Amino acid sequence: MVIQKEKKSCGQVVEEWKEFVWNPRTHQFMGRTGTSWAFILLFYLVFYGFLTAMFSLTMWVMLQTVSDHTPKYQDRLATPGLMIRPKTENLDVIVNVSDTESWDQHVQKLNKFLEPYNDSIQAQKNDVCRPGRYYEQPDNGVLNYPKRACQFNRTQLGNCSGIGDPTHYGYSTGQPCVFIKMNRVINFYAGANQSMNVTCAGKRPQHHRNKGKPTPEDGRDEDAENLGNFVMFPANGNIDLMYFPYYGKKFHVNYTQPLVAVKFLNVTPNVEVNVECRINAANIATDDERDKFAGRVAFKLRINKT
Amino acid sequence: MGLSSTRAAELLARDGPNALSPPKQTPEIIKFLKQMVGGFSILLWIGAFLCWIAYGIQYSNNMSSSLDSVYLGAVLVLVVILTGIFAYYQEAKSTNIMSSFSKMIPQQALVIRDSEKKILPAEQLVVGDIVEIKGGDQIPADIRVLSCQGCRVDNSSLTGESEPQSRSSEFTHENPLETKNICFYSTTCLEGTATGMVINTGDRTVIGHIASLASGVGNEKTPIAIEIEHFVHIVAGVAISIGVLFFIIAVSMKYHVLDSIIFLIGIIVANVPEGLLATVTVTLSLTAKRMAKKNCLVKNLEAVETLGSTSIICSDKTGTLTQNRMTVAHLWFDHQIFMADTSENQSNQVFDQSSGTWASLSKVITLCNRAEFKPGQESVPIMKKVVVGDASETALLKFSEVILGDVMQIRKRNRKVAEIPFNSTNKFQLSIHETEDPGDRRFLLVMKGAPERILERCSTIMVHGQEQPLDESAAQAFHTAYMELGGLGERVLGFCHLYLPADKFPETYVFDTDAMNFPTSNLCFVGLLSMIDPPRSTVPDAVTKCRGAGIKVIMVTGDHPITAKAIAKSVGIISANSETVEDIANRLNIAVEQVNKWDAKAAVVTGMELKDMSPDQLDEILATYSEIVFARTSPQQKLIIVEGCQRQDAVVAVTGDGVNDSPALKKADIGIAMGIAGSDAAKNAADMVLLDDNFASIVTGVEEGRLIFDNLKKTIAYTLTKNIAELCPFLIYIIVGLPLPIGTITILFIDLGTDIIPSIALAYEKAESDIMNRKPRHKKKDRLVNMPLAVYSYLHIGLMQALGAFLVYFTVYAQEGFLPSSLINLRVEWEKDDVNDLEDSYGQEWTRYQRQYLEWTGYTAFFVGIMVQQIADLIIRKTRRNSIFQQGLFRNKVIWVGIASQIIIALILCYGLGSVTALSFTTLRPQYWFVAVPHAILIWVYDEMRKLFIRLYPGSWWDKNMYY
Repeated sequence: MVIQKEKKSCGQVVEEWKEFVWNPRTHQFMGRTGTSWAFILLFYLVFYGFLTAMFSLTMWVMLQTVSDHTPKYQDRLATPGLMIRPKTENLDVIVNVSDTESWDQHVQKLNKFLEPYNDSIQAQKNDVCRPGRYYEQPDNGVLNYPKRACQFNRTQLGNCSGIGDPTHYGYSTGQPCVFIKMNRVINFYAGANQSMNVTCAGKRPQHHRNKGKPTPEDGRDEDAENLGNFVMFPANGNIDLMYFPYYGKKFHVNYTQPLVAVKFLNVTPNVEVNVECRINAANIATDDERDKFAGRVAFKLRINKT
Repeated sequence: MGLSSTRAAELLARDGPNALSPPKQTPEIIKFLKQMVGGFSILLWIGAFLCWIAYGIQYSNNMSSSLDSVYLGAVLVLVVILTGIFAYYQEAKSTNIMSSFSKMIPQQALVIRDSEKKILPAEQLVVGDIVEIKGGDQIPADIRVLSCQGCRVDNSSLTGESEPQSRSSEFTHENPLETKNICFYSTTCLEGTATGMVINTGDRTVIGHIASLASGVGNEKTPIAIEIEHFVHIVAGVAISIGVLFFIIAVSMKYHVLDSIIFLIGIIVANVPEGLLATVTVTLSLTAKRMAKKNCLVKNLEAVETLGSTSIICSDKTGTLTQNRMTVAHLWFDHQIFMADTSENQSNQVFDQSSGTWASLSKVITLCNRAEFKPGQESVPIMKKVVVGDASETALLKFSEVILGDVMQIRKRNRKVAEIPFNSTNKFQLSIHETEDPGDRRFLLVMKGAPERILERCSTIMVHGQEQPLDESAAQAFHTAYMELGGLGERVLGFCHLYLPADKFPETYVFDTDAMNFPTSNLCFVGLLSMIDPPRSTVPDAVTKCRGAGIKVIMVTGDHPITAKAIAKSVGIISANSETVEDIANRLNIAVEQVNKWDAKAAVVTGMELKDMSPDQLDEILATYSEIVFARTSPQQKLIIVEGCQRQDAVVAVTGDGVNDSPALKKADIGIAMGIAGSDAAKNAADMVLLDDNFASIVTGVEEGRLIFDNLKKTIAYTLTKNIAELCPFLIYIIVGLPLPIGTITILFIDLGTDIIPSIALAYEKAESDIMNRKPRHKKKDRLVNMPLAVYSYLHIGLMQALGAFLVYFTVYAQEGFLPSSLINLRVEWEKDDVNDLEDSYGQEWTRYQRQYLEWTGYTAFFVGIMVQQIADLIIRKTRRNSIFQQGLFRNKVIWVGIASQIIIALILCYGLGSVTALSFTTLRPQYWFVAVPHAILIWVYDEMRKLFIRLYPGSWWDKNMYY
């Protein structure tokens, strides 16, 4: 059949709309009468009320399966990631030595970040633990919390502690400190009872390199030369076992995350240097192809000097 | 004589072959491109281009931006192209069925060329060829008759005149259609022979002109195409308005424009049921196949549904409602009317055969008959045997063969000694036989013919085997019977005989049929016999079914009104207790004009009356009477009737077989051509071909068409539901800032993966109730996708699904360490590549990749959540009103195949491809597959409740708002 598109004049369309919005003949507003609207609103009120209740109930049931102190599953966190401080955009640590503003924000952030590490606070809240072994606080059938945490004193960071430091963590002199921290993972026994440390090296991003296990030779490339010397605090970039395991935010209230500070002493100025730090621990793999931050962290360092 | 072969070849090269050029076909490439841009494809193209534009902007800002959006764009384009190819393939397949069908055995013609008679394919005829035609041939081109002998042609396919027309070599009329010396292409020569010269070939023939006129009538959109367009508009409207709304919201929430574009794409992809149009095509072609099995060959897939929405069927009589063969219906002898079996095999002849009159009558019937079976058909059932002879003689031959056995043998035993064939001046047929009784030396004269002429020649009548004088009362009885049988629309023949006295006509007597040296009066009247082309036995049921289904059946025929009305009554087109105006006038003995026409339900309108009617008057007739028969109409008037019906806002199905039915077939919403009797032009113009020419097949077609409409509704409701579950994640993501619950690619895996087979499976669902007991759907009111359907799918079930899927999502995140409360507004930090120590609810820290992996697990969980609830959705969509338990959970096995396919595809994606990160599926813990089950059960229970209230309170507020 021929579909005759009836051409409606503009006025008719407006008229139809008007009638749709309010039809005085049938007392219909938007195609429904008042009672119909009341019914429909009431229905949806009840219906959605019920759905909300149902959803809340199922959510509540679901949350009962989740414990307060440990997540049910940790399969994604088998390998803790590494991260640097100061936290910068794209992990580019760019320091214009002459331009105070360029590094001042980093310094502010670091000051804030390191404040809980102040020796006084640590002494007040945390225990002195025996180094070289895990600080285990098992529940033994009875919930035992809050758990105690071991002291990590700011002074352990030596020249990078920033205490009474006129060079502002070395940023004003072009010898910046970068702090390496390992991601917290609950009940993770990092190092598998063996000592572990963080090492850093200059190297290009992975896609420029041959795949496979990094070898010491890699350090000999351009980035390594530009990187120059650095010192680490605590010495050798050691992370002590006593800071593990972590028992979670709720139980391990004053937990202090161990840090490794790296002070770069003579970075070639005005050049972008790729740095990669990785943790050497028996139970932490650092060669995940997909996760570039598993057991390692890569960042760019650039010291601009005029 | 004749053309030389070389000259003929020249002319052939000039004029082209003598065949009707097929209607112009849309080029394949255009059809293909149409599939590429039709329906939702445009939206997906927009999505793809937005993806690339987004990448372009990203790229210009940051050379190392990820290629994700390029891939997504490519995937979207791929989806469009694949579904396009698929739809195109389906279309092509169904077109192929048709084209293979229309290939006919090439026609042959006897031509004189190079002074030799040759048999050539009719295609090679050229103007100027001399052709010879004999009875039974189809005329191979337009021909001017040069000489002929008793040539009569059937022009009914051209002019609609059902009477055979005699041809001669004289020019009798200016109008080529009227003059007697022209035979037309594609008409048939019934008897005699003729020699003629070809004057027009191919498209230049008269029939060619009509055929090209028919193809000029544009193809209109089918109702289902309109419905689907309507549906696409609704969904596209929802997609675009939500998309744009959230684009604005996103921008005003200070999102980056680029991100907002990405959101827009997500919303579009979530809203568009990518697989649905392909599903609809498959569903339609499944039904088309099913209909083909029931003898309805559908040329155009969409016509499948059109038949279901038909509200008026204009049906031919001959061959469609009737068996298309004359059959003995009644006998009258011994002052009594007997009924003969008129069913297809006539096996059940129950009338009284013990009377002596019957013995005589049967002898007359057997002997006074020139028809013969073609030899070599011993194994063929009697009714199927081919007979040489005219229709009524054939009927008599078969009638006697069924009752008496081998007629040929009987005739042999009663050797024929003389014969006068039927002619229109005598109006009788006569033959003289020796009798089979060796003791009886008399000759038997048998005669049949027009009853009144036969009666005139009789002086006695046989009653119970005894000859009695034909007195006034016997004549009166004869007239009553004759009127009664004639009133039934039957063709009545009278039979009489006479034993010639042996003394006057010894064995050696030579009968001279020209001199008529034997008596032809004072014969003995034996009986009457009436014949009709009886209705097919399945038709009355089919008509009743149509009635019940609210479909008006109108008979349109070229036949005599009385016959037409009789057949209409016998098949129920005019029901037993309804009367026409004329009937009422007869009964009340008043003039036709005095009858209140509102009292009459039925009407018989002749072509003559129709000719003088204005369209308004026709409309009035169509609206006033529920039972209408159009008799003595020409095929051109059929078009007028169709247009009249369409003015009543009806969906009209029209049957036809002749060439000049083709405009009406085209004009109709669904044209139905006859597979056996139909001409090629009719089949070309039709949307459907009835392989067995049987009206009852139309009705089964209607049933299938209605079923498919219901099932498409279910399919669409099923498919639309999950759109909300796919859309909500994006809306929540934008507004609340959760990590993205489901990715665009994952959505495509639902739309084109897990959901495809289940939605097709709904096409196999049986009808919920007797669909032939309700009115045809109103074109403008009963939409495929109506408000309640959209609201119920989107705002009820869809929302429940979204909640269930979110539950799975939250479970995964919570059990991995991110409690629901911590997720709010986490989006920005979550997606930053340089944040590799994001803290969760327990104080643990996550790298970007660890979070990414968790996000993919979330996608997978959300996907599985939707999938599990789609199973429940599939089950509830089996019915719209009845409980699932009434319908039977296991009756439709394909549903379970669909459910199995859903689960298997999900398992493969999750466990088989879990390691392919590009697809963003991860290996999910087994228990997460069951998290959404309570919500799935809730969906089922809720829907059962909905159906229960609909059944309990029909017409209530609930019914109006919740029944889709």
